Amino acid sequence: MAKARGTDGSLLSSLPWTLGALSLAFLPHLPYLPIWITAAFFGCTSWRYVIERRRRPLPSSWFRAALALGCFLGVLGTYSSISGVGPGSALLAVMASLKLLETRKRRDQFVLLFIAIFLVMSSLLREQFLWSLPYMLVAMTVIMTAWLRMSAGNSETPRQSFATGGRLLLYAAPLAIAMWVFFPRIATPFWAVPIDTSRATSGLSDTMSPGDITSLSMSSEVAFRVTFDSAIPPPRDRYWRGLVLTRFNGRTWTAREPSISGAAIRQISFAGEPISYEVTLEPTRQQWVFALDMPVNWSLPQTFMGPQQQLARSIPIDQRVVYNAVSYSNYAVETELQAPFINWYSSLPENTNPRTLELARTMRAAARDEAGYIDAVLAMFNQQDFYYTLEPPPLGSNPVDRFLFDTRRGFCEHYASAFSVLMRSAGIPTRIVLGYHGGEINPLGGHLIVRQSDAHAWTEVWLDGVGWRRVDPTAAVAPDRIDYGASDAAFEGLGAAWGLAAPSALLHQLSLTFDALSAKWNDWILGYGPDTQNRFMEWLGMQNPDWQKMLLTLVAVIAGLIIAISGLLMLRYRAPQKDEAARLYARFVKKTGLHPGIGETPQRFAERARQASTLPPPTIESITNAYLDARYGPTSGAAYARLRTAVATMA
Amino acid sequence: MSSIPWPFPDPRNLVSAFRNRASARVQRWARKRQGRDPSTTRLGPGRVYILPTGVGFVFGIMTFAMLLGSMNYNNNLSFVLTFLLVAIGLVSMHQCQRNLVGLELTFAGAEPVYAGQAIRFRIAVTNHAKNARYGIRLHHDAITSEAMDLAAGESSVFTLAIPTDRRGWISLQRFGIRTLFPFELFRSWAWLHMDIAGLVYPRPADHAPEPPPTMVAHGHRQHDARGEEDFAGLRRYQTGDSPRHVAWKAYARSGQLLSKQFAGADTSSQWFDFEDLSELDIEQRLSVLTRWVVDTDRTLADYGLRIPGAEFGPAHGESHRRACLEALALYASGSN
Repeated sequence: MAKARGTDGSLLSSLPWTLGALSLAFLPHLPYLPIWITAAFFGCTSWRYVIERRRRPLPSSWFRAALALGCFLGVLGTYSSISGVGPGSALLAVMASLKLLETRKRRDQFVLLFIAIFLVMSSLLREQFLWSLPYMLVAMTVIMTAWLRMSAGNSETPRQSFATGGRLLLYAAPLAIAMWVFFPRIATPFWAVPIDTSRATSGLSDTMSPGDITSLSMSSEVAFRVTFDSAIPPPRDRYWRGLVLTRFNGRTWTAREPSISGAAIRQISFAGEPISYEVTLEPTRQQWVFALDMPVNWSLPQTFMGPQQQLARSIPIDQRVVYNAVSYSNYAVETELQAPFINWYSSLPENTNPRTLELARTMRAAARDEAGYIDAVLAMFNQQDFYYTLEPPPLGSNPVDRFLFDTRRGFCEHYASAFSVLMRSAGIPTRIVLGYHGGEINPLGGHLIVRQSDAHAWTEVWLDGVGWRRVDPTAAVAPDRIDYGASDAAFEGLGAAWGLAAPSALLHQLSLTFDALSAKWNDWILGYGPDTQNRFMEWLGMQNPDWQKMLLTLVAVIAGLIIAISGLLMLRYRAPQKDEAARLYARFVKKTGLHPGIGETPQRFAERARQASTLPPPTIESITNAYLDARYGPTSGAAYARLRTAVATMA
Repeated sequence: MSSIPWPFPDPRNLVSAFRNRASARVQRWARKRQGRDPSTTRLGPGRVYILPTGVGFVFGIMTFAMLLGSMNYNNNLSFVLTFLLVAIGLVSMHQCQRNLVGLELTFAGAEPVYAGQAIRFRIAVTNHAKNARYGIRLHHDAITSEAMDLAAGESSVFTLAIPTDRRGWISLQRFGIRTLFPFELFRSWAWLHMDIAGLVYPRPADHAPEPPPTMVAHGHRQHDARGEEDFAGLRRYQTGDSPRHVAWKAYARSGQLLSKQFAGADTSSQWFDFEDLSELDIEQRLSVLTRWVVDTDRTLADYGLRIPGAEFGPAHGESHRRACLEALALYASGSN
């Protein structure tokens, strides 16, 4: 099948716009796509432009088929899958590139513009920032302009297309806002959401191997933001409980899969004032749900408390979620452990860390009771030359031995691990809690920012008759870390990295402003879910909002807006108002009861009217003369005045 | 394989047959509803129809898919994008209809053509609004005019070239005006039923016999009309004489209009008689006569035409040619 492949430059008026729209839609994907796709995309766009410009023929169908196969295999090879946002957007980009090479007719560009829309959509699914909305609006304006260029006649200029596209978007905006506000949101997805996992997150890992990592990431990325209903608790109470590690193999602490335990929540007794707050958790792609130690109530659906009093959601958190929680800082976990469990929580692998075991036995023998032993160990951390550092030396095999006796430098994980091993060696059930500690108050938004650099590990020991009790060995080594948090360090690091020592305060201020904006943006725009929507509907005055009421309101609002837009369009397309002379003359013509013929002059018409109408000839004459003077005579108000009186007095 | 008959109709034919039937029905309904239009008609909002195009359907499906995706991901920004597209669809629907409403259409005549040529009906479309209209097109069945933009207050003449195959009056019972502006998601259109007709002359015969020889009148020596054209003298100018034959030099001298006379072209006349062609059927005769009229008219010679019911004395010139051709076109068609 030999199809004509020549180009005639007929697409030159619209192709640059289409290419611009595609490139704009492609731009946010740039950091995530393999370099060869980017190269193929921009190669094809510029090649296609040159082809049209020089009126060259398009590449042959064999070449295109080979290229298509190659690209498809390339995507498959790069991603080993074709579903999900990552491979999906890669495929879209490849499709756009290939489609460009066979775009010959004007209407082929429809496909390209549809692809551009899908590319914009998938970039929104991948990530949403403060600038995502403006970006989307700009992209849509360009796409709409390209669309108009495609179907425009030769006389229409790009400026006109742009104005028309912008005007239609402006009309569409209130409709879109109404739909966005009133369209009922549902809580649960229809099907599992394939999320791009190509991007590493700096969330907590499920395991902890102190000594393997020699440098702790000080990422200032936000883990979650918290808005407290009342006063923000002091730093030393801000322990954000995450997951709990219970197994140690001599090197690595691991957690068991989260399971539900009905008993876990009943073991908690609490006193004092409840702390209620709202957490906006950034996606972690993990199941752990963070709450202030110790949560008793939480609003996130499908979220349960596991046997270690850890919160987990049954589906991973792939999207930003917002939930309310109530915690008590004055609590006790009064678990009663039976003998097998006591052994299980204090088990250690054999033949590892022998010196630690020895040290534990000695110290336990010296201590009066278990509480005394704990104090002794903490005192050891505090008084002997243990140091808190974010860049500890590697530890090799028997890491606890090496840490306690040789290096004595480490961060929270090292101390939590060493402390737990010392406890377990003395037969005291111990578990390690991973989470966050502290957080920075944003004075602009009034909320607390908890960053990845606030990640923390602490321990809980079980004492007979008391239950699980929190012990933070890091506090014994670096009390400042507990009292002030780690965030300041991150910002100093950032300032230093940019060679700015003094402006780091300014930078910090800017960053806090941006964070406050982001928080509001997250709360009201990105986090507009079923709960927020219900609250907003109630605020608007809707009683017991449900989806039927919202849909009805939606339909009513849309109908009203459409009537308004239709009226606006009618106004735009109405005929311009006639001038006064024409209007007065029209009244006269109506009075005569005759119809002026096409091309009939007022004088001819006057002649005809004299014979056929009932108006007296002098009236006809004066009106005709006044009209002609007003129309064609020198500009003066006198002729108009004469016409006005003549028409007004015609009987 | 091809010898096995397929007992079922081709589904594509079925679909197109269904479409044709449906569209004919709708057109009849519109005709009944609107009545006959005057030759200048302004489109009211009640007669501008609108339906989505194929692209519009694809757009609709795409937005629906995007809505499902947004609901599934519960992603508020992609909700914004989806709803923006839906809103653009709704707005473009109204814009598309408004692009036609208020236009004024006037039939601006059609030049007669010979059967077999396309007759070009000219229709003036006036935009009285203070806003431009884009991508306006006239159509009749599958025939469309060029798309044109009309600036505010502008009037443009659209031509609909309708192929002809028979002589006589051809009327344009119905034509449409349509637009796809702005995004080609919707097609809005209106039907007009004006009294529009154009004249189609018979098709000039391709292989006509030689015209009958010229007879010279008024006692001059008979000679062949196709003989040499020698200058024979001057005579007083008569209306209808070609300006090329006016003796301008003589006019400058005397102020009197004189025509040059040429031997062989002067007072000679040819009679084209319907009855002379008795060996041909009626249409062929008309065709041959048309050919003779057309060819002889070019030579500026006088010719007369005699057909049953009409006779045109020897003359030449535009109005004579038109009268003859019109008589031929309308011969025995009932309207003459």
